[in-house]
Amino acid sequence: MLKNKINLYLITYAINSILRQKGKNSFIIVIFTLLTFLLSSIFFITGSIKYELDTTVDSLPQIIVQKIKAGKAYDIDIDAVDNILEISGVSDAMARVWGYYYFVNGGVNFTVVGLDQYENQYKKTFNSIIKKYDLTSLEQNSSMIVGTGVKDVMTKSYYDKYFNFIKPNGSFKRLYIGGVFHSDTELESNDMIILSKDDARDLFGIDENMATDIVVKVANPKEIPTIVQKIKLLYPDTRIITNEDLKVSYANIFDYKSGVFLAIFIVALFTFFMVIYDKSSGLSAQEKKEIGILKAIGWTIDDVLKEKFYESFIISVLAYLFGIILAFIFVYIFQAPLLENIFIGYSKLKTTFELPFVFDFQTLFLVFFLSVPIYIAATIIPAWRIATLEADEVIR
Amino acid sequence: MIRLENIIKKYTINKNNTVTALNNINLEFKEGQLVVLKGSSGSGKSTILSLIAALSKPTSGQVIVDNKQISKLPDNFAALYRRDNIGFIFQKYNLIPTLSVQENILLPLVPSNLDEKEVEEKLNLVMDKFQILHKKDAIVRNLSGGEQQRVAIARAHVNNPKIIIADEPTANLDEKLSRDFIQILKELKETNKTIIVATHDPLFFNLDFVDQTVCIDRGNLQ
Repeated sequence: MLKNKINLYLITYAINSILRQKGKNSFIIVIFTLLTFLLSSIFFITGSIKYELDTTVDSLPQIIVQKIKAGKAYDIDIDAVDNILEISGVSDAMARVWGYYYFVNGGVNFTVVGLDQYENQYKKTFNSIIKKYDLTSLEQNSSMIVGTGVKDVMTKSYYDKYFNFIKPNGSFKRLYIGGVFHSDTELESNDMIILSKDDARDLFGIDENMATDIVVKVANPKEIPTIVQKIKLLYPDTRIITNEDLKVSYANIFDYKSGVFLAIFIVALFTFFMVIYDKSSGLSAQEKKEIGILKAIGWTIDDVLKEKFYESFIISVLAYLFGIILAFIFVYIFQAPLLENIFIGYSKLKTTFELPFVFDFQTLFLVFFLSVPIYIAATIIPAWRIATLEADEVIR
Repeated sequence: MIRLENIIKKYTINKNNTVTALNNINLEFKEGQLVVLKGSSGSGKSTILSLIAALSKPTSGQVIVDNKQISKLPDNFAALYRRDNIGFIFQKYNLIPTLSVQENILLPLVPSNLDEKEVEEKLNLVMDKFQILHKKDAIVRNLSGGEQQRVAIARAHVNNPKIIIADEPTANLDEKLSRDFIQILKELKETNKTIIVATHDPLFFNLDFVDQTVCIDRGNLQ
């Protein structure tokens, strides 16, 4: 049944027709492949970054309480934790000791986080680190756990076993690299250093009963605004940031980066449509004559259009597949050199950011529908214009 | 039977200019006849062939083939009519120069989507008949004029049409090849094909197997 419907002679003729115009069709395939490659690369990169950001945003604390002094965040008394815990609806509260450390030689910022072995952790990554490493013995051995990106940067500066931090009072603090971790999301882990809370306090010059900020967990997310109000009443000198605020902040950064990509995307689409316009604006004299001959020897308009459909389908699907495969290799194997740099401004650590593999059928379909049907239409429409003329007129 | 009744055909050159190619033509050709349309270039011979092959439509009048009016057929039906009834040999052969001999001859069979064996049989039969089988894989543009014409004849014949139409078939051939072509026409006539040849080649004018000669001058019958 199917054999009767699919005309293999017509498909063979279409393939022959492509091969007969090797030069022209190779050029079209190259241009089409490049455009598909560019479009899909953009979508793959934005998809990966979005995945990273979504994962990061999901792991953010629900509420962060910061002490404000002279308009800047200042160390907060850890006694506040007990008072916040007494607010009904609050399921947990933790004092965080963390900060940024600027490494001059590498030209990068590290995010330094102090953890306590026996406290509840506010991130899954930290739970798995605590399970894997004993922070008490790390402290005894003056050691730290570093993210993969940090390890690479330190190794490049010959700090492959330890690192000498400079404390606020100007003295050095040497910490040995006790392990390297790799979390689900590169954006949050790549630039991170984990050490004991006491070491972190020592490194940043924070007093024993003080912390950088306090994170609060709320059982029912709908109660967050009420709890924020209660904390504000309890501590009027604090700034309270919810994860919704952070989501907006992240989204703004992402949207800005997306804007740059959007510009490239528009340029790519514009170029594609220029090629399509050029193609749809007419057939060569030889192509016109060929349609006339085919009609004169008994081909119907449908036969001509079917043949042109097969021809353009083969070319466009081939180019689409080449483009997609190249984009996969470019983005996920070579980590999108050049294009990636547009985005990587976000990370505090500017090097060794890895785009996670995100397989998204929607993206593949979107690129397909933005390219293949448009090309097929651009091939069929001029052929239809010629095929509907009188064969005699076309041959003459 | 082919009948042309009160045929007027005008071509539009531009908004203000039209050319009358045929002016009230009435003709009748019987089945199995070999008809020669005689006239100088631009006399309207090719236009008559186009109308009979339903490659174009008359401005007025009608073309009737086997009691069916073909001059008002919609485009797709006209194509089907050509596929089943007409074998057209063009002046410049109108082959696809980058295809092989076999691929060119196959073209009229492509839309029919016939069984592979049947297609092969038909191809071999016509290529053998018109002595082009030995060149079946040769690219057409590399063939001589005579060989190209044999390909064109084979292509016109592959669907076994009832009517063979030839437009200035010997215009690009030397005398020997022209005589060979005339011999082919004679053989085709013996198979009861209706053959209409438009030509101004004198070789056609005194052939004993020509049934009818029609003289045309500036769109009018003489």
